[in-house]
Amino acid sequence: MTLVVFIVSLLGAMAVGVPVAFSLMFCGVVLMWFMGMFNTQIIAQNMIAGADTFTLLAIPFFILAGELMNAGGLSKRIIDFAIACVGHIRGGLGIVAIMAAVIMASISGSAAADTAALAAILIPMMAKAGYNVPRSAGLIAAGGVIAPVIPPSMAFIVFGVAANVSITQLFMAGIVPGLMMGIALIVTWLIVVRKDKVEALPRAPMKERLRVTGRALWALGMPVIILGGIKAGVVTPTEAAVVAAAYALFVGMFIYRELSPKQLPHVILQAAKTTAVIMFLVCAALVSAWLITAANIPAEITGFIEPLIDRPTLLMFVIMLVVLVVGTALDLTPTILILTPVLMPIIKQAGIDPVYFGVLFIMNTCIGLLTPPVGVVLNVVSGVGRVPLGKVTIGVWPFLVAQVFVLFILVLFPDLVLVPARWLH
Amino acid sequence: EFSERNIRVSNGINADHPVGNGIKAMQACLDEKSGGKLKLTAFWGGALGGDLQATQALRSGVQEAVVTSSSPLVGIVPALGVFDLPFLFASADEAYKVLDGDFGTQMNKKLEEAGLINLAYWENGFRNLSNSVRPVTKWEDFEGMKVRVMQNNIFLDTFQNLGANATPMAFGEVFSALETKAIDAQENPYVTIDTSKFYEVQKFVTETNHAYTPFLFLFSKAIFDTYSAEEQAALRDCAAVGRDEERKVIQDLNKKSLEKIKAAGLEVNTLSAEEQARIREKSMIVYDKHKAEIGADVVDAILANLAEIRK
Amino acid sequence: MAMQKAIDTFYRILEFLLIFLLSSMAVMVFVNVVMRYGFNSGLNISDELSRYFFVWLTFIGAVVAFREHSHLGVETLVMLFGRKGRIVCMILSNIVIIAVSAIFFWGTWKQAPINASMTSPVTKLPMIWIYGIGFFTGAGIVLIALERLIRLLTGRVTDEEIAAFAGENMSLEQLSERA
Ligand code: NA
Ligand code: NA
Repeated sequence: MTLVVFIVSLLGAMAVGVPVAFSLMFCGVVLMWFMGMFNTQIIAQNMIAGADTFTLLAIPFFILAGELMNAGGLSKRIIDFAIACVGHIRGGLGIVAIMAAVIMASISGSAAADTAALAAILIPMMAKAGYNVPRSAGLIAAGGVIAPVIPPSMAFIVFGVAANVSITQLFMAGIVPGLMMGIALIVTWLIVVRKDKVEALPRAPMKERLRVTGRALWALGMPVIILGGIKAGVVTPTEAAVVAAAYALFVGMFIYRELSPKQLPHVILQAAKTTAVIMFLVCAALVSAWLITAANIPAEITGFIEPLIDRPTLLMFVIMLVVLVVGTALDLTPTILILTPVLMPIIKQAGIDPVYFGVLFIMNTCIGLLTPPVGVVLNVVSGVGRVPLGKVTIGVWPFLVAQVFVLFILVLFPDLVLVPARWLH
Repeated sequence: EFSERNIRVSNGINADHPVGNGIKAMQACLDEKSGGKLKLTAFWGGALGGDLQATQALRSGVQEAVVTSSSPLVGIVPALGVFDLPFLFASADEAYKVLDGDFGTQMNKKLEEAGLINLAYWENGFRNLSNSVRPVTKWEDFEGMKVRVMQNNIFLDTFQNLGANATPMAFGEVFSALETKAIDAQENPYVTIDTSKFYEVQKFVTETNHAYTPFLFLFSKAIFDTYSAEEQAALRDCAAVGRDEERKVIQDLNKKSLEKIKAAGLEVNTLSAEEQARIREKSMIVYDKHKAEIGADVVDAILANLAEIRK
Repeated sequence: MAMQKAIDTFYRILEFLLIFLLSSMAVMVFVNVVMRYGFNSGLNISDELSRYFFVWLTFIGAVVAFREHSHLGVETLVMLFGRKGRIVCMILSNIVIIAVSAIFFWGTWKQAPINASMTSPVTKLPMIWIYGIGFFTGAGIVLIALERLIRLLTGRVTDEEIAAFAGENMSLEQLSERA
């Protein structure tokens, strides 16, 4: 019964357009009233305590690093580098897009920012080379959503804090699945473009390619610093984030000289606002999570799925389907925040590895960024690349299918995640 | 006179900790006294928030109970800092005598002024040092060692005074940080070193016994006051029953954990009596530094009490 | 006019504050990394203070974001409605927001004594300085939403606002806040 109250109050508020954060607070208020324990202090205390967590400080710093990467010209150098590497191959610009997307994913945790940078540069180039524009836009959108799967990742940080799972372990476990998403996209791309009549870019002379690579080295150093730093234990994820931001600032300002001190306040303000939006949501979710726990709602759900507890693969399959459906309408962070407190007790009881679950869950919510009616990354590509939203939605579907395929392969073979994760950690 | 009560008990630790056994024993006692009317529902692993957050929820009458170590609460009751002072208790028996005696009652009064009823002192236990660098046999061995400590001024000062590089860090990140050598060392009771699998990523363990932290079984005063006298008495009595069980289990488990740590191939050593005395002597500077903050009367009272016991 | 100018100045100050808070957090954490590895030492206060700056950043930023319609919502259903339907939803939505924000404010009020009587472990700052931010955020959002509600009820709502409510014309910045 509490479960029904939880779902109805949350969906009801969201349906009339109440922002998710306030809907979660509302759902919390309704739950405590229903449980006969109405006390305004529950709201106040849990809201603030939610932000008072050192681990979450990684969020603003990684956002800042991502913003600085774009403003400082690092993204552009990375794309130039990818063009120099594979631009001359048939269908090369698509491979360029994915290669650049994967490299940028290992610097930034934001799907929207990465996608915007890729779309602004590559869609005009792809159009000029004769590629089908909606399909190119779809590919870039699908490449952009790799960002939160490959570390650093705000999504992993939020999940790690909400589920009490090590963020370092999540980061390391995300690398291989993220690369698999990239490979699946390249394969799909090569299949769908094989009959298109397009011109490959001329192969640049070796000297030019070395020059571009040399210029990109500073930007390519960033993933090494972030992942190497965390992997070698020099820094915690929070510290890695601040080092990454400092490095991007240095490179953008003094090496590439595209970032002027004048721009800096705007970049920082934007990162601060993004942080506030995400964090306010995290805080509101901790209010409802507290009440979900106090009301023992997970136990209620466990009752329903009792028959599946002994069949982890089937259970994962069902959960992933549910997340896919939720992801059509809900953004990434809210999906993580709303479902984690409900699902984690079930995952633990079924004996599923929480890191493995985390990786698949985040991958799934990222796929949700590509599914209508609410697919934020589709909106970004449509806006930046000036392609109508409807066309992007059609262009993206082969890539969407490819990513869902990868997801369910990982459901069937957990070792594909677990073995490399163990090896990397 | 008993009413139906659902008492939510928040725990930062996991259900397999001896506190779990203590709560079972306490429930059995409550069942008998209240005819099954007083029910404890335990939440584990910080599911209802961290210890400090849960304690604040008690003070505002939002939640019934929490089992927490004393250290995070010094911001609410500064006198509790006395239990963080290095090398205070020499043995568990000393600690029991002080905590279950007059000094414990005095501290309970201070807690009550802050809106918290301490039903009984349970046990977290003596803290020991583990590291991946070298065996610690003397004061000088701490030099330059990166030690994770709780975010607590007395712990920070204790280890900085020993020459270590004390680093506060969230508990959840400690394993990874030890594994990747971001930090060299951590300090916790044997049971925690065992259950959190720190022994997998450490080489040396030193029985420093540098601090004994009690667990407090705290109840919200705002809620406690609405209970009948019988209910209150039952809770106090049964918390003591739970305490005895928990202390017994944790003592056994400490031994088992130590065996497990040794079996895992770690080098375990104790400090010689002279070195223990020397470190204790050198640590007195931490007592002086924090005496005013904790309350001179409190520090003097516990030292007098201990001197009495040691006679 | 003078009123509008005062309000704009107020938000400029808030934005300046956000920039200050985020930069200081970054500097504090960065300096600690450098000190830890370069000099084998660290500032105990920077860990704690950066966390408190983070709390202030979040809850001041939440008000600024609310003013700019930047908090994430699900516009799927609202998008289907015409102008009238959207206005009805906006009224309901603002009522819910006012209610929960007022509860946030009220809870902060009721909890103020216990936060005032607790200090932080390292900096010894009374915790009301951190938890008291609920006064600002609760009140700020109630005021903005009340003003919107009054304009909605008196028919003075702008088409731009209605479009923003239904998630139309989102800027790239707003989109990047969502993913
Ligand atoms: Na990433
Ligand atoms: Na979607």
